[in-house]
Amino acid sequence: MSTVTEPRKNAPAARAAAGAPGAAGSGSGGTRPRKVRGREERSPLASAGLHGALVLASLVAVFPIAYMVFISLRGRSGWTRPTSAEGGLEISNYAYVLSETEFPRWFANSLLVAAGTTLVGVFVAASTGYAISRMRFPGHKSLMWVLLITQMFPVAVLIVALYNILGSMGLLDSYLGLILTYCSVSVPFCAWMMKGYFDTIPHEIDEAGRVDGLTPFGTFYRLILPLAKPGLAVTAFYSFLTAWGEVAFARAFLSTDSMLTLSVGLQSFIGQHKAEWGYLTASAVIITIPAGLVFLLVQRNLVAGLTAGGTKG
Amino acid sequence: MKTATADPATAARPARAGLLTRMKRSYDRHWYAWAMVLPVVLVIGVLIAYPLGRGVYLSFTDANELNVAKQLGATEIPATYQFVGFDNYWRVLSGADGEFYPKLLWTVVWTASCVFLHYTIGLGLALLLNRKLKGRSLYRVLLILPWAVPAFVATYVWRMMYNSESGIFNAVLGQLGIGPVDWLGDTFMQKVAVIGVNVWLGVPFMMVAILGGLQAISSEQYEAAEMDGATPWQRFRHVTLPGLRPVSATVIMLGTIWTFNMFPIIYLMLGEANALHSEILVTYAYRLAFGSVRDYAGAATYGILILSMLLVFAVFYRRILDRQEAVR
Amino acid sequence: MRRGIAATALVASLALAATACGGDSEDKAAGGPVTITWWDTSDATNEAPTYKKLIEKFEAAHKDIKVTYQNVPFAEAEQKYKTAAQAGNAPDVLRADVGWTAGLAENQYLAPLDGTPATKEIDSFNQGLVDGAKVNGKLYGVPQVTDALALLYNKEVFAKAGVQPPKTWAELSTAAKTIKQKTGVDGIYLNPDSYFALPFLYGEGGTMVDTGTKKITVNDEAGKKALQTVVDMVKSGVAVKPDFTDGYNNMQAAFKDGKVAMVVNGPWSTADDLTGKAFKNKDNLGVAPVPSGSAGKAGTPTGGHNLVVYNGADAAHKTAAQKFVAFMTSAASQEFAATETGVLPTRDDAYTVKVVADPIRASFKNVLADSTARPAVSGVSDMFTEWTKQYIEILKGNTTVEKGLDTTAEKWKTNINSLKEYSVD
Repeated sequence: MSTVTEPRKNAPAARAAAGAPGAAGSGSGGTRPRKVRGREERSPLASAGLHGALVLASLVAVFPIAYMVFISLRGRSGWTRPTSAEGGLEISNYAYVLSETEFPRWFANSLLVAAGTTLVGVFVAASTGYAISRMRFPGHKSLMWVLLITQMFPVAVLIVALYNILGSMGLLDSYLGLILTYCSVSVPFCAWMMKGYFDTIPHEIDEAGRVDGLTPFGTFYRLILPLAKPGLAVTAFYSFLTAWGEVAFARAFLSTDSMLTLSVGLQSFIGQHKAEWGYLTASAVIITIPAGLVFLLVQRNLVAGLTAGGTKG
Repeated sequence: MKTATADPATAARPARAGLLTRMKRSYDRHWYAWAMVLPVVLVIGVLIAYPLGRGVYLSFTDANELNVAKQLGATEIPATYQFVGFDNYWRVLSGADGEFYPKLLWTVVWTASCVFLHYTIGLGLALLLNRKLKGRSLYRVLLILPWAVPAFVATYVWRMMYNSESGIFNAVLGQLGIGPVDWLGDTFMQKVAVIGVNVWLGVPFMMVAILGGLQAISSEQYEAAEMDGATPWQRFRHVTLPGLRPVSATVIMLGTIWTFNMFPIIYLMLGEANALHSEILVTYAYRLAFGSVRDYAGAATYGILILSMLLVFAVFYRRILDRQEAVR
Repeated sequence: MRRGIAATALVASLALAATACGGDSEDKAAGGPVTITWWDTSDATNEAPTYKKLIEKFEAAHKDIKVTYQNVPFAEAEQKYKTAAQAGNAPDVLRADVGWTAGLAENQYLAPLDGTPATKEIDSFNQGLVDGAKVNGKLYGVPQVTDALALLYNKEVFAKAGVQPPKTWAELSTAAKTIKQKTGVDGIYLNPDSYFALPFLYGEGGTMVDTGTKKITVNDEAGKKALQTVVDMVKSGVAVKPDFTDGYNNMQAAFKDGKVAMVVNGPWSTADDLTGKAFKNKDNLGVAPVPSGSAGKAGTPTGGHNLVVYNGADAAHKTAAQKFVAFMTSAASQEFAATETGVLPTRDDAYTVKVVADPIRASFKNVLADSTARPAVSGVSDMFTEWTKQYIEILKGNTTVEKGLDTTAEKWKTNINSLKEYSVD
């Protein structure tokens, strides 16, 4: 990677990261110049410390999720006795949520909206990212900036105007209205990431395509996109999660029971005067599963894709 | 494909021809590119630029729910709000509304502490994961798991755990013989509580991004450093950190922007009345527009101020980075 | 193949566009049945099924009207309705809290109902409730259910401790201490919400505002005394230190589990109470009037919900909506809802033998007789929002009773449109 530089003093980020635990943890090697420990050698003590730290961190990461699963299996009011397992586990909350509420419908809606956002978002973001990465056209620089700035919008403040626009287009309470809105949130960041990813694909490939007589579109679809799978995976992941978990827009734009997405529908379990934590956790578990699946599918690509996008901002 | 190259010589060619010819030529040369970015431009134009323009306009008026235009079926009630110039900005920036500066201070503290914790914890975990060790992929999956939980779900689950009487934290504390903590009630603890949730949610992103950055640093550099007898700390300081710089720069900026505008956690975790001292600018602006009195002008003013602050931050941040780039 | 993906994406998005354009336009076909939408703000688990049954009955009786039922969480319904109404998308009928009606009417969102099918039987209704739904002499809502706060208590715990339902807050404190001593159960849980502080205010002879002299009175001596009573109760441990995010829910959880002996709550909560393990035996739930303050008088606020009709709907929808409102508020429907869910009817002829046979409802009927209507100004719900913020600050100890109430009064004057002309001490 071209940006890697030689060691130098006064690295600015060092100040921010001085307290990083990893830095301290790996500092157990001797200070005598002769016997400096290499990167891949560790004393048993350091090994234990390493695993200890990772186990602790994993526990913190997993505990809330595990607790959510536990409470969901403890019946309607099991949450009031958080540390007790008396009465055993039951699936009554799941049964209730799946059969007595509109939950399955909300789930389908969410899935549809998230899938739509992902499809449209990835497609649009990829073509934009490619254009910005490869072509120098008038407006190129300003578009880069606009994409970055769009990230800064306090979305909550745009809602009233957006509501009126969607209303005048007849898109309130519809899937398309929500998909478009979510695309406006996710596409700028995705395009930015894709641009970074395309930057890492050698220009020679484009040249080869041109020599073969392909149009720029042809080059993009046939040659570049297949190479950009890790980047596309990250983009898809991000778009999906954005749509899957969004609250504010969905809440303002949807009203019909059968059109609600999960984030809005779940409000009927928890509110100022209502606390059906049993039902909520059961739904939460079911909600987290698709997100987790998408995640498992793309996680191999996550690291590569995200980095490429990130480094070349 | 003329458009595909970034040849500075052709790009800087002086354009002497007439406007129409130039536009035609420009169109011929660039229509591919424009066709490819058109969807984005359309979406941004309609769904962001227009609302933004309207927001700017409203911030110079005294619009509220009683005087805005209403479309009631066949009858249309025209707007009666008036242009008030910079009154809104003056009221907010002079501190006369009594809300802006305390909330700005807390927003900055919230953003800085969240981003700092995201970055340092993410970096630490990434360094640990970047080593050869048993069960590395298992650790990685477990550590990234919070990312797969939608923010609103996570917020609800944490709210349940923080509950003063039926929450797991106080139950455990009680069994340890320590008195209950009023996690979401106490003014200080509720701030700690919301930061905790955001850190839990945000670390995986940082970790993954930094991990990618670490893997991109060539091992030759480390080998060279080892040959020079550099200690692990020196290697970290002089090879790892500089190598991470591009990734860090981007994720810190994105993290700052996202955290500054982080809506669901504070909004859903604390009730409106309970969040008197823990409301950040974005949630406050939302409450202005959708809260009790529906002050559209006030909400727009806050929105524009938030955007301006982030813009200034981004410009300065990039400039500092560019300067460092130049020094290098 | 690559092209295929893009094409699929395009087709998919187009297909979505085609299927997504539902909304309110589909029922415009001439001659067909009229479809009206009802936003119900009642409890989605305990009450909604009953109302859905009523809708089926209504549709059976009116073949030309279809009703789309939509349950909207109470806490956000007012804001959601305002957003929708402003853009012309509001539901035809809304179940509006009595405190919202005036504000929505002020925004011209509601259609006046005088002389429409909705108000044919209005003379059978409780006149106090009907007056509460009037703005400037016009009727904007038909009362659907009513409520008032009462002291709910766990009879078994009371018997164990040997105490009687207290008549004053002072008696309540003594009783709570006895209960704690003898049974280990906490005395009372007070929801940290200003609406639930009204019994204390009324008990001291105080009011929120004086509409006669146009004065904000929440921060007068009576107001301070009232909140001081609450603060003292929490400090001395008579009342549980409340949770400030989930106060209401924790109150319900503790009461249902038998961890607290008393709560102040309304009839809507009794269905929920009876699902708790402390009230497996229905008779264990006691209902008494709220205790009185040092002024020697007990007071409880009249609450409840009106059915209101959207002003932006066309004539056909309005008429259908009015018929629906009439049906939902009829004596038979109210009796049905009361027996199914425990809510209280708004008209005397709905208090049938079946309805008052239930001891809980019978007790609440007595409580209602002495309840006090809220001040007749628009924006009452906004007033509670501001007041609750300060009430919580006071209970947390971040501010004094005096300062908190003064701030409340100031906020009311500056933020509530209808109070701009009022004076503050």
